[in-house]
Amino acid sequence: MLSIPRPWWMMVALVAAATVSAGPKRDYIVTAAKPDRLFVIDPATRSIRSEFRIPEANDFLGTIVPSPDGRIAYVLVNKMESISGIDLDSGKEVFRANLSSPGERVKCVFAFDVTPDGQELIVYEVPVRLGLSEYQVEDTRFAVFNTRAGLDARPVRQFPAPRRIHTLLSRKDGKSFFAIGFDLYELDRATGKPLSQKGVRNWEYTNHSMPDLLAFWPVSEPTGVFATPIYSSVPPPAGKGDPIPKTALMTLDLTTGDLQYHDFEDTAALIFSAVLNPAKTEAFGVYSQLSKIDTRSNTLAKRVDLDHTYYAVLVSSDGKEVYAAGAMCDVTFFDALTLQKKGNVRLTGCTDQAITSPRVIRR
Amino acid sequence: MSGMKPTNRKAELLLDAAAAGHVPEVVAMESVAGCATTFDPGWEVDPFGGVASLCQPMEADLYGCSDPCWWPAQVPDTLNTYPDWDVGKPSAQDDWRELGSVFPKK
Repeated sequence: MLSIPRPWWMMVALVAAATVSAGPKRDYIVTAAKPDRLFVIDPATRSIRSEFRIPEANDFLGTIVPSPDGRIAYVLVNKMESISGIDLDSGKEVFRANLSSPGERVKCVFAFDVTPDGQELIVYEVPVRLGLSEYQVEDTRFAVFNTRAGLDARPVRQFPAPRRIHTLLSRKDGKSFFAIGFDLYELDRATGKPLSQKGVRNWEYTNHSMPDLLAFWPVSEPTGVFATPIYSSVPPPAGKGDPIPKTALMTLDLTTGDLQYHDFEDTAALIFSAVLNPAKTEAFGVYSQLSKIDTRSNTLAKRVDLDHTYYAVLVSSDGKEVYAAGAMCDVTFFDALTLQKKGNVRLTGCTDQAITSPRVIRR
Repeated sequence: MSGMKPTNRKAELLLDAAAAGHVPEVVAMESVAGCATTFDPGWEVDPFGGVASLCQPMEADLYGCSDPCWWPAQVPDTLNTYPDWDVGKPSAQDDWRELGSVFPKK
């Protein structure tokens, strides 16, 4: 583990800039923690490979989106009002989009993504006009930024957006993107033209109530399929008694656009986020327990208690290990077969990851 | 709203909007996450009616709730209203004793 001197201005001079492996490609975990830290973790050695400081993070670390080549991490910072692109080799800030401007406060509520060609960021913006005596809620919009725009990036395109979007994911062909909110919307990347709308809150799942969804960990690696738990209920047998709560796995294939829901248990534990294994035969979900779901039979395969609550879950590219992260100050490694704990990395200073979305990059 | 009387200008405007058929133009502040639009149970009770499924320990959830203004009645909203509440206290599990109460500004 790197020894980071304090105060932070000393760290800036001595920041770890170890170049990520130049040999065969390996997995690395990218995560962030308060007040302004970005970490690259090597799962193979269970160690922190690099630790960087994000300028003007303002004690807020949100969504992390790695560039397709894994060289830059775009991080939502500054109370949801800025996106900072950090070079994962040098630690330097190479991109900055400050969304707000005088008189208009703009928040990105978790939802942004990079296009598969790495050239653009698509950002969901929630603008509010700040008046002298009142706030004027403005229409939500998507803003597109050129990733080569440097440290004063301005939108190159904007188009209207539905309200209540919390996850944004590029389609793999790069021509469109998905926005998840009350429903799943697909929009043309170039024009913003709505292409399709599929039910999420308004799903058509026979006999099921309107569902509840909490999804702002936009993880689709290593499969290219986004997965998240989604909760609903079905009527009790014979219509007597309370409705039966159900947990389903919702999956969105970013290549085909296929959206599926499958119940896998009567809700017995909370799951905040989920990820599919490379074979797409299992999913892993995390909260205060780590759950393994058999996606062929749509059943709960295994569940173990955790030392504490984690918000985020990742899986290694070979499918052999599961990583639990987010919330507190550590990343923990589990055997994907047995769910036994295999190791743990504690972040420097034990500072909180909170709502950041840790990601796996392959370099 | 016939049984209610407006007590301030905003309430009068809402009555005017209702009379003019403009109520649908009154929109809720965005969004799913945060600031008085989240009605999930939490902190006091979990979805099962108990406490066993709340985050463990509660410090694991502290900044996850203050950062996105998730439950502003229970945890200070650092997104807008109390941005400095956790400054200098980056570790909830180590720094929780230093986190103070907040009060509405007069």
